[in-house]
Formats: sequence, C-alpha cells, structure tokens
Amino acid sequence: MTRGLLTTTVGSFPKPPYLQQARNRYLSGRLSRQELHELELRATREVIRLQEELGLDILVDGEMARGDMTTYFAEHLEGMEISGLVRSYGNRYYRKPIIKGPVRWQEPITLEIWRYAQSLTDRPVKGMLTGPYTMVDWSFLEHYGSRREAVLALAEAVHREARALDEAGARYIQIDEPAVSSRPGELDLAIEAMGVVTRGLRARTITHICYGDFDAIFPHMLEMPVDQFDLELANRDFRLLDLFRARGGFPREIGLGVIDVHSHQVEPVERVKAGIEKALEFIPPERIYVDPDCGLKTRTPEEARAKLAVMVEAVRQVKRERGIE
Amino acid sequence: MSILTTVVGAYPKIPNRPRPAKLRTAIARYEQGEIGDAELTAVQREVVREVIDEQIDAGVDLITDGLIRWEDDVTPFARAFAGFSIDGLVRYFDTNTYYRQPVVEGPVAWTRPVVVEEWKYAAAVSDRPVKAVVTGPYTMARLSLDRHYGRLEPLVLDLAEALHQELVALQAAGADYLQVNEPAVLQHPEDLPLLERALEVLTADLQQEVMLYTWFGSVAAVYPRILDLPVAVLGIDFVHDPQNLEVVRRAPFTKKLAYGIVDATNTRLETVDEIVERIRAMVDHVPPDRLYVNPSAGLEYLPRETAQAKLRRMVEGVRRAREVLS
Repeated sequence: MTRGLLTTTVGSFPKPPYLQQARNRYLSGRLSRQELHELELRATREVIRLQEELGLDILVDGEMARGDMTTYFAEHLEGMEISGLVRSYGNRYYRKPIIKGPVRWQEPITLEIWRYAQSLTDRPVKGMLTGPYTMVDWSFLEHYGSRREAVLALAEAVHREARALDEAGARYIQIDEPAVSSRPGELDLAIEAMGVVTRGLRARTITHICYGDFDAIFPHMLEMPVDQFDLELANRDFRLLDLFRARGGFPREIGLGVIDVHSHQVEPVERVKAGIEKALEFIPPERIYVDPDCGLKTRTPEEARAKLAVMVEAVRQVKRERGIE
Repeated sequence: MSILTTVVGAYPKIPNRPRPAKLRTAIARYEQGEIGDAELTAVQREVVREVIDEQIDAGVDLITDGLIRWEDDVTPFARAFAGFSIDGLVRYFDTNTYYRQPVVEGPVAWTRPVVVEEWKYAAAVSDRPVKAVVTGPYTMARLSLDRHYGRLEPLVLDLAEALHQELVALQAAGADYLQVNEPAVLQHPEDLPLLERALEVLTADLQQEVMLYTWFGSVAAVYPRILDLPVAVLGIDFVHDPQNLEVVRRAPFTKKLAYGIVDATNTRLETVDEIVERIRAMVDHVPPDRLYVNPSAGLEYLPRETAQAKLRRMVEGVRRAREVLS
C-alpha cells in the first residue's frame, strides 16, 4: 500500500482572546512576564489538543509566544533591536527590527516551548524558525556593509537555534523564508544562507516560501538545501502546479497549501480534494504533505478549526479513494 | 542661502507607546461597525493636526497633511474615479509594503473631488503652506490592472484628464503647491514621451507651479530629457541610487530640484555633516534658490518617532549648510 499525504500546518495558530488581552496588558506593564508565560503555556496545551483532535500528523506549538515572525527572533538575538510600528498595508502594522550591530545567537529561543509542546504529544512537533534571508529583508539594516554579510551572519545565528532543536530531538525543523519569492535576484544568497542553517542537521528540514515570482525562481529555488518546500497553492487556485508541471515536475517533497488563510470562508471539501488530486497527477503521495497556505494566526479560532477540519476530511477521502495509507 | 525644506508626502499614521495608536484603533472599530464615517473622520483630522504639528515642530518649511487618509498611493483615487474596482494586495515597488491593486473595468473619469476636502482642512489648521498631493496618471496606470483599455496610452491619458480635474479643483480651493507623484516612470524610461503627453493634459491651464516627484530609481535613462516635462520642480531620490548625483551633473539642471537626500527607508540617522556634504555636492550645479531638500521618499517606511527625528536632522543639516556655504 502506498503511504503519504501526511497532514500538518505552517506554524502559527490564532491566539485565544485571553492571550491577546494578556499580551496587551503585559505590553502596558499591567501583567508580569511570568503570568503571561503561564497563559502562553495554557494556549500551547490547547493548540496541541486541538491538532490531536483534528487528527493532524505533524504538529506545531502554534507560536503562542510570538507576535511577529521576525520581531520575536530579533528580540532574542544580540545585535538586533525593535524600531517601532511600521505599516505594511491597510491597517496592519508590524514592529520592524533593526540590525544594529554584529548579530549573535546567545541562548536557545524557541527550545523551551517546543520541548513543552513535544512533551504533551506522541506525534512529532515541528521546530519553527524564521530564515536568515527573511530576517534581514524585513529589518532595517544599520550595521553590516552589505545585505550578504548581514544574511550570512543571521544564517549562523539561525543555525545555532536549529542545532539546539535538532539536539533536543526535533524530527522536523521548518525554516520559513517567505521573502525569497519577492526578490529573485537574491535567490542565490538565500540558498547559500540556507546551506549554513541546515548543515549537519539530522532532522527533516522544510522551508516555507510565500506566493511570489515563482516564474523567476522555479526550478532554481529547488537548490535550496532542505528536504521539503512548503508552498501556497490554494490562494491562486492551484495554478502554480501548472507551472511546476510544465517545467519538469516537482522532484522534491512539497508542502501543499490547500487552505486559503486570507479568506474568512471555509472552503468546501471538494475544492481541497481537487487541489490534492491535481498534485497527485504528477507528484507521488509520499512526497506530498498537506497543509494550509500559510500560518493561521490571522483567522479566528473558529475559522481555523473549521478550515483544518475540512482539510483533514479531504485528505481522508482522497486516501480512501486511492488506497493510500 | 535660501534652500527650503519639504517632505515627499506620507507621514507615519500612528506613534509608538506610550502614545496611543488612535487611528489604528479607530479604523479597526470602523471596520467592526462600532463607529461611523463622522467619528472616523474626526480621528483622522485629529491625526492630521498632530502630524502637521510634528512637521512644523521639526522645522520643515513646506509640509503635507501626511496623506493620513490614504491607505496607499492608489486606492483613494481608484475609489473616487469612475471605471475602477479594487482587488487584492500587490507589493509596492521593491518594498515590503503592499497596496490594493485597482482594476480598470471601464472608462476612467473624475466624478467628485478626491483629496480637496482633506487639503482644505490641512491648510486651515497649518500656519505653514501645505502641498496638495496626487498620484500621477502614469503611475496610477502602471500600478493598476487594466481589463478595459487594452493599451497603456488611452488609460494614461484618461487618468491624466481625471487628475487634471482634481488639480483644477485643488487650485480653485486655493492650493498654491501642487505635487504629482510619478515614481513608476523610472522603471519604464521608454514611456517618458507618454508621461510628457499625460502631463500636458494634467497641467493644462494651471496657474500654479507643479512639483513632479520620483523615487526608488535611477534617472540615468531619462536624464536630461526629463527636464522637458511641463513642471517647475523635479523630485529625485539620491539615496536609493547615489549615482543620480553624477547623472544630474551631466547636463544643466534647468528646473528647481527637490533633492531627496535623507533615507526614508532606513532608521539610521544621517549626521548633520553628511547632509551638509550632500548639499555642498549640489549647490554649484543647482543654486540654493532653486533647491528644496527633502527625504528620499514618503516617510511611512519608518516608525513615527524616527520619521520626525529624520526631519529634525534634515532641517538642522540645511541650517548648517546655509551657514557654512554662504
């Protein structure tokens, strides 16, 4: 019997309202770090339980302690600071980091909460990191003389964090590089940096790349030294698969994004199944991991649960119909 | 030395703690249906007053309303003009900022004033002159998805006519400084003749001097032909492409120059000496009475406090330059 179509998610889950409120109270000095931490652990327990209930195969800790994916690491790395709020679009802002001096990893950043999450379940919990290229691209650069120097310094720091997770027994480590698809001209730099991050790791490695100029980076991006590429397919109606197919197929593992994380609407099971079937036309099931397009943190808890339930149901049906284990 | 200081347009909409993010909160409440248009407008105006005060406090001579009501460079116009719908998020040039892409569904036309009321409000509460700012027809067209015209030229020219009516309305409302933003032409230098035709439509019969701003690019491929455009002031970004300094020296600069020398995309504060040196490098080519000094682009890429610090530093640098170069 063929195996495959393992289900997972991209990393972030919606924060429950009590945690949102606690974060605000903490930021305005009305809640202690310890009290906030207790609530982060409670939310982590709930996220693990939710994923087990839904029947996902590879879990995440849900990133309950993280605000923004770059800010969180910037706050913990020597040489980086937070500048303040910068608008990215509409009414959305992020606390943009600054690279102020030589960047150095000092101590594990994500390890404690990963360990805690893994202790709650028998299923594998992915380690989740932000990649060096994205860390630099989404920060103000005040210190290094070139972007290349900065990216390679960040790569060394992210490698240290990946190694800490690897040594602690993480079976999957995901290094997100959403910025890679927006600057095709720097793809080689991102590939070189990923080589620094993943060198010598025993864990299966994954990178998440957001929707962007795949016409310019595919198949060249496959040179990135990771085991799996996690991509957004649903929000462009799976058309990206046509591009991959026309250019020699997808010879690596793919994290197949089948849920549009930017839409409030819960997609019908049939649409998700159609996306999976389309991938199965040219990628064998053991190389396909099914997940949402991107992190779920911008959805409500109800939307996230409903969307994941649809995803799991679609996978179940496809597996049954095709005799996949 | 009569160098004037100005800004390119946008100013950060919300400050950082401990100051409250009034506008962000108000927009969130508006989107939830908790407050209506009148209350949102009241908050926007309060923020406009704050950012006008901050610019004046920093010492800037010629300011804007910070484009506080613009969610991006194109949406306000696409919403107000006939012929557009608004689609999903698209990256704005080579930045990590996104805008909602306008889709051209039918003939484009001006239907009602877009920024006139905002400008009138800002001018009324400011004791320094306030520029009226519009996104130019060429850039509007380039940032839109055309499903109607099939060719760039008629779309650009219809946009030019629509924006012309807006500028006429601004002129009638008393705006003395009209600014048109055309960053996109630097990505498509082959379209300079089309931009010229569009600007002829746009500026026809205007009494005021028009300031044309570009940013994020090299002017090498359009210089000196860009000096033939029917505008009085040309804004160029010398931070994104420092080579622009040598490029503009290749031919006499026959207009006023809006000299973008303070980095609007990086938090690192320029020193006063750096600013003085940059001014020194230009005054023999463009005399002080034809020179505006401003940031390299709109300031919304920076946190609010950094933006104001940059403006203070810029003004300080220009003051020092007036002393040492006179």
